[in-house]
Amino acid sequence: MDTILLYPVIVPLAVGFVMLFLPRSLGRLSQVVALMVSVAALVFSIRIFRLDEGAYTWTVLALDAFTLDLLLTTQPLGSFILMFAMGFGVLITLYSFKSSASVRRINEYYGSILLAIGGSAGILLCDHLLFLLIFWEIVTAALYLLISTGGKDSNFAATKSFAMIGASDASFLLGAAMVWALSGTFVISQISLATTSALPVIAFLLLMLAAITKAGAMPLHTWLPTGGEYAPTSVMALLPAALDKLLGIYLLIVITRGMFVLKSGGALSLVLAIIGVATIVIAVMIAMVQHNLKRLLSYHAISQVGYMILGIATMTPIGIAGGVFHMLNHAIYKSCLFLCGGAVEDATGTAELEELGGLGKRMPLTFVACLIAALSISGIPPLNGFASKWMVYHGVVEMGRTQTGAAGVMWPLWLLGAMFGSALTLASFVKILHSIFLSRVPDRLRETKEASGLQTAPMLVLAFLCVFFGVFYRVPLRQFILPALGAAEETEAALGSWNAILATALLLIGIGVGAIVLFVSAFAKQVRSVPTWACGETQANDDMIIPGTHFYKTVSSMKGLKQLYSVQRRGHFDLYDQSGRAGLALTGLLRWLHNGVLPVYLTWVVLGLLLVLLMLCNIW
Amino acid sequence: MMEVLTNLFWILIFPGFVFTLAVGLLASWLVRKVSALVQYRVGPPVYQPAVDVMKLMGKEILIPEEAHRAVFVAAPLVGLSGVLLLAAMLWLAGAGVAFVGDVIVAIYLMVLPSLALILGSSSSGSPHASVGAAREMKLVMGYELPLILAFIVAVVKTAGVLEPAEQLSLVAIAQHTPVASISGALAFIVALLCVQAKLGFVPFDIAESETEVASGVMIEYSGALLAVWKLMQTLMLVALPLFLVVVFLGGVGTSGWALGGGIGKYVIVLVLVILIKNTNPRVRIDQAMRFFWCYCGPLLVAAVILAMLGNYYGLTWL
Repeated sequence: MDTILLYPVIVPLAVGFVMLFLPRSLGRLSQVVALMVSVAALVFSIRIFRLDEGAYTWTVLALDAFTLDLLLTTQPLGSFILMFAMGFGVLITLYSFKSSASVRRINEYYGSILLAIGGSAGILLCDHLLFLLIFWEIVTAALYLLISTGGKDSNFAATKSFAMIGASDASFLLGAAMVWALSGTFVISQISLATTSALPVIAFLLLMLAAITKAGAMPLHTWLPTGGEYAPTSVMALLPAALDKLLGIYLLIVITRGMFVLKSGGALSLVLAIIGVATIVIAVMIAMVQHNLKRLLSYHAISQVGYMILGIATMTPIGIAGGVFHMLNHAIYKSCLFLCGGAVEDATGTAELEELGGLGKRMPLTFVACLIAALSISGIPPLNGFASKWMVYHGVVEMGRTQTGAAGVMWPLWLLGAMFGSALTLASFVKILHSIFLSRVPDRLRETKEASGLQTAPMLVLAFLCVFFGVFYRVPLRQFILPALGAAEETEAALGSWNAILATALLLIGIGVGAIVLFVSAFAKQVRSVPTWACGETQANDDMIIPGTHFYKTVSSMKGLKQLYSVQRRGHFDLYDQSGRAGLALTGLLRWLHNGVLPVYLTWVVLGLLLVLLMLCNIW
Repeated sequence: MMEVLTNLFWILIFPGFVFTLAVGLLASWLVRKVSALVQYRVGPPVYQPAVDVMKLMGKEILIPEEAHRAVFVAAPLVGLSGVLLLAAMLWLAGAGVAFVGDVIVAIYLMVLPSLALILGSSSSGSPHASVGAAREMKLVMGYELPLILAFIVAVVKTAGVLEPAEQLSLVAIAQHTPVASISGALAFIVALLCVQAKLGFVPFDIAESETEVASGVMIEYSGALLAVWKLMQTLMLVALPLFLVVVFLGGVGTSGWALGGGIGKYVIVLVLVILIKNTNPRVRIDQAMRFFWCYCGPLLVAAVILAMLGNYYGLTWL
């Protein structure tokens, strides 16, 4: 009986719940308490990670034969993800000290962060499907509260997120019920269903829908960009960028490798691969043409999920390990990018790319963190994003070699989508780096100051992790991921061909060679600062800025793509909007029927009576 | 210790910096000489490319006041170092040594010079450079699609003959000649055009077109910094054709006939590049993107399908 398993769940949940009802004047107190609790949760999670085997049972309800137990156990996968999730909790709470000044309801904000942390801990430790669902809902509710603490219109975004994730949670409930009916138990580690008949397949698809909606993959992805635009950026960095990915992919792994037995290369892995690649390519195409920084980052948070799902869909050890590694890496760099975006927004008051520029010199630390994270997400070697993408690619090729089903035969398509998506990702981050940090400073932003240390420190920690997990990518794999997946030996052998440490050393040597060339000639001749050459004309500074928003007009005005983009902008691909429209049409019909004119109602009643009469008398 | 020294020797002397640079200078002389011959000129002497770089290094360095200095200076160095690593990898792969990474690593390293060019020019704060950077990025997006497809064709063609463990290894792929088949030949031709674009040669010199955007990406670079860019381009002139030789043409051997044949293949690829350069006018960026996406892309999708059918029915010539 290891009671420590209970602490990271119950402490944040209890404190967070109390905090929701504190008066506004105690804002400073709740900040400090939130930081203390999140640090405590991190400490608990580290001790849990070092626990070999732990289990805790608490009988909540016992009615004769029927008992409801809160089962908490340590699984290798859950407990390593737990450690990182708690780490993100601490970093974001720290960051919020400065950034939460603009937040509307401060106690609710910190309380919800604690609820999200506690709920995540519950999900990652829980071995009981029903309690898992309850914790899952707590995180959804926390996300709703957190998004609604943003500026105006954030209520709309929060409602949309809640509606979409809530719908997927309903499918979770249905799936869980079906699993119970099929296997007779709610204990996750005891469930192992073959996916050979229709019912288990439907249950799998329902649970999968819940997992990928939380993670933000298509088709139920549209809550993410809407939330991203209106929610505080620290919220985006904590939930959709980090925790939601960790939880969604965790659930996906649990159902694909534990609760259900999938045939490798079968129809279900085809479904997963299609969702994965479509998510990568479509989301990045939309991201590329966005003009708002937060919206752009949100679309990338969708696109990157595709790699994780694709990795899992390969059903090969290296592919799955790559998918899980990508989940971890994504949480790190995307969280960092959102934090950078938040710092830029705090410093300049806008997230519109057109109004920014040249901040690299004004905000050097933010720039360095953002540059590293941007190169990571674009998969530039030797950073962490490259390592995990590389593993996913290997998984895809391996799948083509070993699996004969439709998913295996179509491997070139998956590889093409994944690699091309990576090039498009680079394109959108080049746009971000150009529009915010490079290019020229608009006159309005000349006086911009670097963000405070409380904001830059979390970013730099995450940026450092990007580099460390890239250069020494075997360390996280050996420490956390491969033991958790129980596939150490086969994967270890396949990792041999990417020597990231040597590559980094040689790249540094190459830079050194160039630097020597530079130094030699810089000694010989002077270095001079000159105004930008504008072909002899004198131009006002603001007229010489070419914002990155113009970069990809060539793409968005291409025949065919142009029409698709315009349909997408009008929300025709948004299931939320579409179901909203369907709902409106339905109520419209009802409204048309209920026009309040008495004779019409009488006519309906008479017609109905006539119908009943006819049926009773069996006249036809 | 020995291992460290070997790696240092490989990256700095042979087949790394010194050797590749020598080959590259020779190759860029070849480019200029053949172009001159095509245009009925005499052309420069063989030492001219080296002299040009020396001259640039002796000039003063101008840095725009608005520029982000660190990025402006670091960008050419990063680009140079990326190509250097790529070149060393490819030479050693031909000699049967697995160095640093596989073919995916090579493809990703090939993006590094373009990325460095984009960030460097974007940091200069010049509107011309911004336009150039946008064009360079769009060009990368354009050719990346057919290049990935060409790489997939090569992997499919070698899938049947390679051991599972060496599926994506450069060394193993260098032992085979996918070009000796319909799909492989198609992939090689398209990949050649992609290399043309990566090198920034006519008809794809859109990012640094002198007449419209005054050298675009390079406009603010001068002196030793420009010299480093030129060195990078010289190294690319070796590394990129070498990539085609390794992936499609069976690689460069280490001794005797194989070495001679390897050099011959490299020269053939180089001459093809030069001929394309001299017989085409510059295209617009939208034309280039449409060319790569709408023409090269579907062509290579067909090539991938052909190659897979070939594998399935055991017809190696497909």
